Amino acid sequence: MATYYLNVPLMDEDVVQLKIGDLVYLSGPAFTCRSRLQRYIFDEKNKLPFSTEQRNLLIHVGPIIVRENNDWRLVSFTPTSSIRFEKWGAKSVKEWGLKAIVGKTTMGEETAQAMKEHKCVHLSPQSVSPNLWLDSIKIEDVYLFDELGTIEAAWHLQLDKFGPFVVDIDCEGNNYFEGIDTIVEANKKQAYKDLNIPADFKYTKLY
Amino acid sequence: MIKKEVLKNVVFDTIKKGSCCIPKDVREAFNSAIANEKTQKAKEGFGNTLKSLDLSIERMNPACPDTGWPLFFLKVGNEAKIEGGFMALEEIARNMVAKATKEGYLRATMKHPLTGYDPGTNVGMNIPHFTYKFVPGNDIEISYAAKGGGSECFGGTRYKMIAFADGLAGIKKFVIDAYAAAARAGAICPPAVLGVGIGGTGNIASALAKEAACLRLVGSHHPEEMMSQIEKDLYDSINSLGIGPMGSGGDTSVFSVNVEYAYTHIAGIAVALSSNCWIARRATTRVYSDGRTEELDNPNWFDGR
Ligand code: SF4
Repeated sequence: MATYYLNVPLMDEDVVQLKIGDLVYLSGPAFTCRSRLQRYIFDEKNKLPFSTEQRNLLIHVGPIIVRENNDWRLVSFTPTSSIRFEKWGAKSVKEWGLKAIVGKTTMGEETAQAMKEHKCVHLSPQSVSPNLWLDSIKIEDVYLFDELGTIEAAWHLQLDKFGPFVVDIDCEGNNYFEGIDTIVEANKKQAYKDLNIPADFKYTKLY
Repeated sequence: MIKKEVLKNVVFDTIKKGSCCIPKDVREAFNSAIANEKTQKAKEGFGNTLKSLDLSIERMNPACPDTGWPLFFLKVGNEAKIEGGFMALEEIARNMVAKATKEGYLRATMKHPLTGYDPGTNVGMNIPHFTYKFVPGNDIEISYAAKGGGSECFGGTRYKMIAFADGLAGIKKFVIDAYAAAARAGAICPPAVLGVGIGGTGNIASALAKEAACLRLVGSHHPEEMMSQIEKDLYDSINSLGIGPMGSGGDTSVFSVNVEYAYTHIAGIAVALSSNCWIARRATTRVYSDGRTEELDNPNWFDGR
């Protein structure tokens, strides 16, 4: 398990070295997105109003941002669940040229496959620590604010050692949480015994 | 008679505290987890979260940007009188939720379920939600719970009807299987405060589970031996699974298992679980009939726990 400090724009060589379980801190430009942005672009066929070439880091998040003295103030920020956006995951990786996505709950097979083909990783938080992150995030700009509202708009951010996040999908399609699943499944067998649940227990089918 | 002016301040402060300041018993649960975890990585998961939670108390900003469903639980003295009646209290609560949203203590999170329309206030059809319980006396106790979206949406909250033939084994299996699946990859932001409701109709079991998850103290026990034994057995077994902070592996997989029950129909047993995410936000204030107020660490929703 290694720790990496990476700069955006991310290059292929930055991300292919990452292995599941490694920790990553990120610096440089990034943008935010939730489902309404992806629906707006991919389903409703609108054009993304900015280039992601130098900004190939996407963060799934619904931040709290308030308008104060003609400026934006970031009040709270925690990556949200990526799996909800699985429907557009592969498309986002491919069409936006993403090299990393930050979010909770990992992503599904289709996105992992696209990540393998296009060299991209998924990164998960191990804490819910908005106040430790606030100091490492500056708001640069916002797009589609009127169309999508404050939570779902595409915020442009400038990051300074934003992290740590654990690599949960690497460029070879490995998933960190599958390792945890194996441990949990094995421990469950003993837990059933401790709880007096017979190994061959079957529910009476009521419906 | 409790005056509207008093209620406005109390409700607003309770929402603010509920969103920004985690309860003492939850803070203690973080400290025990940091002490008990074996790996540095898991210790850091809890440690960084606790550091941020403490900063939220200092800065009075939301403990998490997901400020959740706005839920009010009211313990009402049977003789309590409110200026304008209880409809006035509900109107005040709606206005204060909107005010707390405008001022950044809550995120505008509540939307129309189909159109996605966001009023920007967290106020809409049946939201915020009110649950009442009547007790002797003339005070009222107002609890606000900010029920996180992660812990509600990914299988941490659900119910099943079980045949009597399947009994306790069926109940325990449903709880442990559902919880482990929901905690996968940190979906419900584990370790949760897990509420379990047994018996009643599906919605009675679900309501008991939700109240046990949102209002009972971490580490409290049901007064009946049979129920507290189920709590202990499930707590030990779930904590042996290895789920850890945000599902990334560790020794602490659940903070508390709180069981409540209701008598049920001879036809079957409803079992419901409700997971409250690890930051388990709530705040309670008592308002006396003469207008004095008091902040309470324990909502004491279920008598004595
Ligand atoms: S479920 Fe997770 S993201 Fe939502 S409020 Fe709880 S800790 Fe925050």
